[in-house]
Amino acid sequence: MANMTGVQPAPAAAASLNRYARLPWRRIIQIALAIGITLFVVVGSFRTLQSNTYDASTWKDFVILGVAQGGIYALIALGYTLVYGVLRMINFAHGEVFMFGAFGSYFFATAYASSGFLNRNPVVALAIIFLVAMLVSCSVALLLERVAYRPLRNAPRLVPLITAIGASLFLQNTAFGLWGPQARAYPVPNILSGDQTWTILGITMQRIQVVVILTAIIAVACLSLFVSKTKAGRSIRAVAQDREIASLMGIDVDRTIMLTFALGGLLAGVAGVQFGMTFGQVHPYIGFVPGIAAFTASVLGGIGSIAGAALGGLILGLLESVGPPLLLTGFHIPSPFQLKPVITFSVLVLVLIFRPGGILGSDEPDKV
Amino acid sequence: MRTPGLGRQVVRAGLIGATAIIYCAMVGLIEQLDPRKIVGSQLSIAGVLFLGLPPIIAAYVATRPRQVRGEEVQPGIGEAALAGALVGLIVAAITMAAIGLANLLGIDTTRNIFKSVSPTLLGILYLHRSAVSGLAILSVVIVLLGAFGGVLRACSVGVRRPIVIGLSSVVGFGMLQRIIPTAMDQLGLPKAWLYSTTYLGLTWFGAVLTFAVAAGLTVLFMRKGSQMQRGIVWMTGGERQARTAEVIVLVVILLLLPFVAGTILSQILGSVGIYVLMGLGLNIVVGYAGLLDLGYVAFFAVGAYITGVLTGGLLITTLGLKAPAFHGGLSFFIALPIVILAAALVGVLIGAPVLRLRGDYLAIVTLGFGEIARALFTSDWLKDIFGGTQGLTKIPAAPIGSLDFRNPRTFYYLVLVFCILAAYIAWRLQESRVGRAWNAMREDEQVAEAVGVSSTRYKLLAFALGGAIGAVGGALFAVQIGSLNDASFTILVSITTLAIVILGGMGSIPGVVVGALVLIGVPGLLSEFQAYQLLVYGAVLMAVMILRPQGLIPNVRRTRELHEEERAQDKWAGDLVGDEDVVAEPSPLGEGSG
Amino acid sequence: MSLLEVRGISKHFGGLFALNDLEFSVEEHEIVSVIGPNGAGKSTLFNVITGLYHPDGGDIRFRDESIVGLTPNQITRLGIARTFQTVHLFPNMTVLENAMVGQHCRSKAGVFGAIVRSRRQRTEEERIRAGAQEALDFFGTKLAGYRQDQPAFVLSYANRRRLEMARAMATEPTILLLDEPTAGMNPHETLVLRDQIVRMRDERGLTIVVIEHDMRVVKGVSDRVVACDYGQKIAEGSYDEVANDEHVIEAYLGTKAVG
Repeated sequence: MANMTGVQPAPAAAASLNRYARLPWRRIIQIALAIGITLFVVVGSFRTLQSNTYDASTWKDFVILGVAQGGIYALIALGYTLVYGVLRMINFAHGEVFMFGAFGSYFFATAYASSGFLNRNPVVALAIIFLVAMLVSCSVALLLERVAYRPLRNAPRLVPLITAIGASLFLQNTAFGLWGPQARAYPVPNILSGDQTWTILGITMQRIQVVVILTAIIAVACLSLFVSKTKAGRSIRAVAQDREIASLMGIDVDRTIMLTFALGGLLAGVAGVQFGMTFGQVHPYIGFVPGIAAFTASVLGGIGSIAGAALGGLILGLLESVGPPLLLTGFHIPSPFQLKPVITFSVLVLVLIFRPGGILGSDEPDKV
Repeated sequence: MRTPGLGRQVVRAGLIGATAIIYCAMVGLIEQLDPRKIVGSQLSIAGVLFLGLPPIIAAYVATRPRQVRGEEVQPGIGEAALAGALVGLIVAAITMAAIGLANLLGIDTTRNIFKSVSPTLLGILYLHRSAVSGLAILSVVIVLLGAFGGVLRACSVGVRRPIVIGLSSVVGFGMLQRIIPTAMDQLGLPKAWLYSTTYLGLTWFGAVLTFAVAAGLTVLFMRKGSQMQRGIVWMTGGERQARTAEVIVLVVILLLLPFVAGTILSQILGSVGIYVLMGLGLNIVVGYAGLLDLGYVAFFAVGAYITGVLTGGLLITTLGLKAPAFHGGLSFFIALPIVILAAALVGVLIGAPVLRLRGDYLAIVTLGFGEIARALFTSDWLKDIFGGTQGLTKIPAAPIGSLDFRNPRTFYYLVLVFCILAAYIAWRLQESRVGRAWNAMREDEQVAEAVGVSSTRYKLLAFALGGAIGAVGGALFAVQIGSLNDASFTILVSITTLAIVILGGMGSIPGVVVGALVLIGVPGLLSEFQAYQLLVYGAVLMAVMILRPQGLIPNVRRTRELHEEERAQDKWAGDLVGDEDVVAEPSPLGEGSG
Repeated sequence: MSLLEVRGISKHFGGLFALNDLEFSVEEHEIVSVIGPNGAGKSTLFNVITGLYHPDGGDIRFRDESIVGLTPNQITRLGIARTFQTVHLFPNMTVLENAMVGQHCRSKAGVFGAIVRSRRQRTEEERIRAGAQEALDFFGTKLAGYRQDQPAFVLSYANRRRLEMARAMATEPTILLLDEPTAGMNPHETLVLRDQIVRMRDERGLTIVVIEHDMRVVKGVSDRVVACDYGQKIAEGSYDEVANDEHVIEAYLGTKAVG
């Protein structure tokens, strides 16, 4: 066959294809997968509901828990989305930024709790606690950008991702070195403690969950306004569109990228306090799983889109709290919540297979 | 003469050096590693690595040659010494200030927040003397070390290299204090002159001797290296024969190693071997095919659990041990091909959905698959087969006749055989048509397609092969420790393997070996290090990517790829599809995905 | 039956038709030039033929078999090779390796062969090397000698273009699609390449479709010229016929003033 000087073109044998090779395999697999999943979901939920394992109020609790959890995810997801939008990079260490916020504020919260300030003046104390968490997370995010990511702005795509994984591990174990592995009880002011409830629109909810949901909504609204209305927000959008052109237009790209990390850090700080108060504890490893989940949420909603991150967080929170009991109980799978990561990651994979742009994202793909 | 910009560098380096020392102190590295002495009763690992090294490196970096108006300027020795001393002074001053601050706040208050800031730590920093005299000595030493770093940089290579290698050898020999003395015992050599019996590290005499020998050999090699090489070639009768001879010597050393060293070393080498296998497997996926797989633990788990079940591991239940729902009782060597096939299948299953995903999404999704694998293997749902979180135990140790592979020495040989096999396979693949296809695909997937390389096929192939090798690692792990539980299959396995590949250099086979030796071997030797293993892995991943993305032993081609910015002016502009027509790329999944 | 038939192909991006019911065919051993102003859809045509894009309508038949829906590598294996408008090599592989990748679809050795290093695998590897070498030799000394072991990114622009063509030729195609092969070359290099394109057909029996803006090249190589605008064929025939076609002149120069 090396004889290429022959006038006869490549032999016909090479030019025939197996007829199975002509089938649109990808399409077939996708459709089969879609049918399988639909069946699984329908049968699973039907059998669960039929079996009456959980009563209505349990389901309601699952939903409220899911929404609150979703609020926290949404806040972290915003950090992923912002950074991804501007740098096209998955800031894998963002979960640790969140963890540092929770830890930083923990020391203030315990100090206030032991001095009684937390219960004497909960609003002021909470404001300070939130502020501290935001500042700590923001500083960690900025440090991360400066030390780990800035030297790699123009490197091939996987290089900053590997760095981010390293940074995640490094920060996590720094926290381990500084504060030890044990979980510490995060103090909650009495007015927000677990048995305190508010009834809104006929639904009784724990106060802390109301606070989580409300702060999440406020934060998302503020961020949207900031990005769409202010000059700094405009420069973020410009850099996200095209870094080089933006710099030619006189935008300070370095500062804009720092601003993006700072914003992500601030929101992660808020989420950190919320996490501490909702789950009542902090330890060095709280960042990892919520971080991955929040990344999933941002992809689910459409990475790069602020509303998408919020929506994705909400949906993922619900899926994680309602999904395992609803889908798995029906198949008599014991301890369904053990398989929560399976649900989370299956959602991620399915989104990427069927709608890579996410729910709200345009399907406009990035340049490879 | 005054080198422009040196002042700023000095301040910067001083700040960074001080930060490094304070960081190491606060995360507890200094306190943890102080009991382990390297030389005499004075020099501990903590002292050398976390107090001594920062000022040296900071000063070394601050006085490095720099481009000034197109010219390379290197500060002279005197200036470098001065600048280095200044760096040391800044480092010392800030460190002292931090110690003062901690004392001012009260150690107990500080300790409530930062658990590592303890009286013990202060004792170490005071050099076990009174506060004033200890800190004064420490400061002076730091300043001197800074000056030393500056001088080192200003020296010629002929002076610098022997010193650096000599000092590194001292530290290295000091760290090998559990290995070398045992080996000397085994060989019946006296050791007290080299290693101190009370402090375990080198004696001062041993340290000086080690330095002298290492430095001397370096000088000799630098002067006569090429002659020596020629001598070897002459003795063996040709370049090719010389290489063969080198390989034979290496293999003989590898074979004799467990006899010389004790059980501990054999055990560590066994673990290193498992990770060499894992690294070789992941290297195919990441290094050859360019697919960043963060869920490699899935294959490790598949290998370990399937081996465990097939060879007859038992479940741990509250009622004692019992046989799993599926009880194999096969010999390890019969189970192994099944494990390999299963892992290759899992590789294809994991690979298939991610075929169309771009690199970073692929990384996160594979991470997800790793977590899914762990969740499934350790779930209550599959408890009857894999034992839930408790796992399996009493996994037979792959006996052949009377050879029992749970013995660290025999296990070492078992692992060695598989490592050599895997390295050979990896090497052959790299040099073959398959390797070329992977290369092309990694460089530009769409173009490779247009030239006739099926990216689907080669991605799946990479996942299947990489997975199969990783599963062998898992199978050997099951044999080595005999019981499996959820703690052994966390994401850290994936990260560790990745760190090995990255440190060694993506696509480089010797790199994997070196990476595993450093990242698995060192923490194995220094048990105090184990708590900080992950901290070090994280730092390694970051540092390698920022400072030397091609790794320690680079693969030539990957080196070119990873230095894209250096080619920026030579960038090949344009979009694949051409800029003439309307550019709208297909979505990552192509049509029909909306 | 023509060797390659493009039947009523359409491709749109959003509301914009890059190809609109385009129709044309290529006979064996023919050199066809595709011309048209920027944005006429020429490169999209190549992308659709080689499977990078999926057409929205119409059919493409090669040796009377539909190739719509096949993946690019399958199409290359069938015998349609291409170059890109902007050069796309494997920049970190050596020149020879680039061409050897071209031979990929004409060889078989898999994992097993690579590991056991059988005689068959070694002879095949030698054949791959020889085939790649041959393709490189087509361009004389430009891609020969020490250059073969250099990474592709050190090549000059013209040599990159040549290497890309050599790589496409190494796939042993029946049809070669060249997308603006002379872009960025100086006048002398352009003339040399013009003769080489003719030689590809005469010596190697290739059928060639070339997108080209340089009219000297078009005139020098074409058996037939197809002119496109707005994704449609506006004229077809010999160079002189097309060059004097009023639609073509209009497309290039704008609407003629009436009167």
